[in-house]
Amino acid sequence: MDESVFISTPDNVSLEFELAGPGSRFSAYLLDFLYSVLLMIALFLLMLFTGAAGLRSLIHLFRGEGGWIASWGAALLILLLFAIHWGYYVFFEGLWHGSTPGKRSLGIRVIRQDGLPIGFREAALRNLLRVADMLPPPCYILGGLVAHFDSHGRRLGDMVAGTYVVMEKFARAGRSASGAAWVTRIEKGRSRQALTLPRGTISAHQIGLIEQFLARRHQLTQERRDLLVWQIAEPLLPFLAEDRDRLAKSTECTERCERLLLQILEMAQSNEAKPLAAAKTANPSLF
Amino acid sequence: MENAEEKQIQWSRFADRVERLNHQGPRALRKLSGADLANLIDDYQVLIADLARARSMGADHATVGQLNRIAVAGHNLLYGQMRRQATADGSSWFGSFGRAVRRHGWAVALSAMMFFGSALASYVAVLFNPALGYDLLDDSFVEFDPASPENLHNIPSIARPVVSSTIIANNIQVTFLAFGLGLTAGIGTTLLLIFNGIHLGSVAGWMTLHGKERALWGWIMPHGGTELLAICLAGAAGYLLASAIVAPGLLRRSSALKRIGSDALAIELGCMVMLVIAGAIEGFVSPSSIDYLNRIAVLVLSLSLWAVYFFGAGHQKMIQPRVAPTEGAYLKK
Repeated sequence: MDESVFISTPDNVSLEFELAGPGSRFSAYLLDFLYSVLLMIALFLLMLFTGAAGLRSLIHLFRGEGGWIASWGAALLILLLFAIHWGYYVFFEGLWHGSTPGKRSLGIRVIRQDGLPIGFREAALRNLLRVADMLPPPCYILGGLVAHFDSHGRRLGDMVAGTYVVMEKFARAGRSASGAAWVTRIEKGRSRQALTLPRGTISAHQIGLIEQFLARRHQLTQERRDLLVWQIAEPLLPFLAEDRDRLAKSTECTERCERLLLQILEMAQSNEAKPLAAAKTANPSLF
Repeated sequence: MENAEEKQIQWSRFADRVERLNHQGPRALRKLSGADLANLIDDYQVLIADLARARSMGADHATVGQLNRIAVAGHNLLYGQMRRQATADGSSWFGSFGRAVRRHGWAVALSAMMFFGSALASYVAVLFNPALGYDLLDDSFVEFDPASPENLHNIPSIARPVVSSTIIANNIQVTFLAFGLGLTAGIGTTLLLIFNGIHLGSVAGWMTLHGKERALWGWIMPHGGTELLAICLAGAAGYLLASAIVAPGLLRRSSALKRIGSDALAIELGCMVMLVIAGAIEGFVSPSSIDYLNRIAVLVLSLSLWAVYFFGAGHQKMIQPRVAPTEGAYLKK
């Protein structure tokens, strides 16, 4: 099973969805099973205590007592229990766009193969076909095997309905200003360029590495940060006329290295605006 | 960095707007003014372009994730509401059941053959070899005493609602199994149909042997036409799923299953409706004291109504192609 599925939209962009694993799917199933049983018990008790129908009326009926209300009430109870037993998933998935109470607490939901939320048609198909996935009954061995060997982790019901079960990310991940800065620059047609210094050249790839490190440095542990900054900065030290050995021994090695990297980035950014502007004015006749 | 902040604000403004519209329900887009809608679509296109750039240039994970999440919300809003509009104009469910049954006549025939074939075989077997009855029948049927020469059961009218709802629930459950077990390449569906056929056939054979056949047929006829037809159709829905597994043609099996899913579901849901009707008849009409002729009349009436439905419902009207203006018409203008 793959970790995620890419769905291409009519706009020619692919959206990424992280597939839900068997663990969270099974936990969600157990939770939903529990909820539906609780719901049935609650309905039963409600009818029992209101006395209008339910168990009491069933007893009346067998004793030959009770009127038409009791009889119709018992009939209604049977149909409602049946509807909850078979319709719990269809109802919630259809109404909540592929989510059920259990799925919601595990952070997963069902989507269509084109990335849109599912409706009642898909919900009915994938849940009525549970009877096949459950074989042999309640073990889910057939469905489990099929899902294991399918690259999108679909059980049989998912295949017929054309659905995937995916992770839903609730939390808004931290906004990354550097990412936005980068997208802005790419949008304006400026890509990273190598930085030429008197003592050597820092490649575009290295500058990209510096950018990514600086964007992520606050999320790293201190040890990792020390290690990474040294790995990135060390080969660049000769270009900046720094003494490698003395820096390595100094107590504020990491701070110093990061400052150097920031410096390189600033130089690179002030550098790259010029050649592009120059190129535009140099040969306008070409276009 | 000034531009970057603008970009960031632009993204989150779009995200907030989409979220707000999503909360306003499935018709939110149609309430927007033309300019607002065009504006929303522009923002969406800017966003997905940013996503494509960020991904292909290898921007950091957090940015791509953030953009992807907003793009999914925007995509679901814009395309989801468009789809709902498209299906609303499409054909109704009422016709789709009849159409699906007509389209897959072979599956109905196969299913009916399994069910009625095994019923007939066991009927004949019990007639010629009565000892078989002790093996095939439930104990409750061996000594069964009909309520009257024309009626198997005489259920007190006060209990009929409960009987009816129990029968409906039970029968629908059987059709769910016949439908779902089609995914076992049809083996489960076949077994289910054959077991139910044998049950029906052996009871019929046994009752005939003991001269109670009039009571049995009198009981079965009013609801049987609808009920047995529904069981056969549910089997057909199961065989449709099986056909995608056994003979997917040039498609992958998962794609073949997806393609057949809609028709199979239409048939299965139609069966549910049929069984509600059959259950109501079985609970209220079959146990009543109407005479044999009336029972036949109910059977004939119900079967002919179904025939009208299955042969008549859901024929798609030919869409008249708009007549293209002739060349001359263009030239004159």
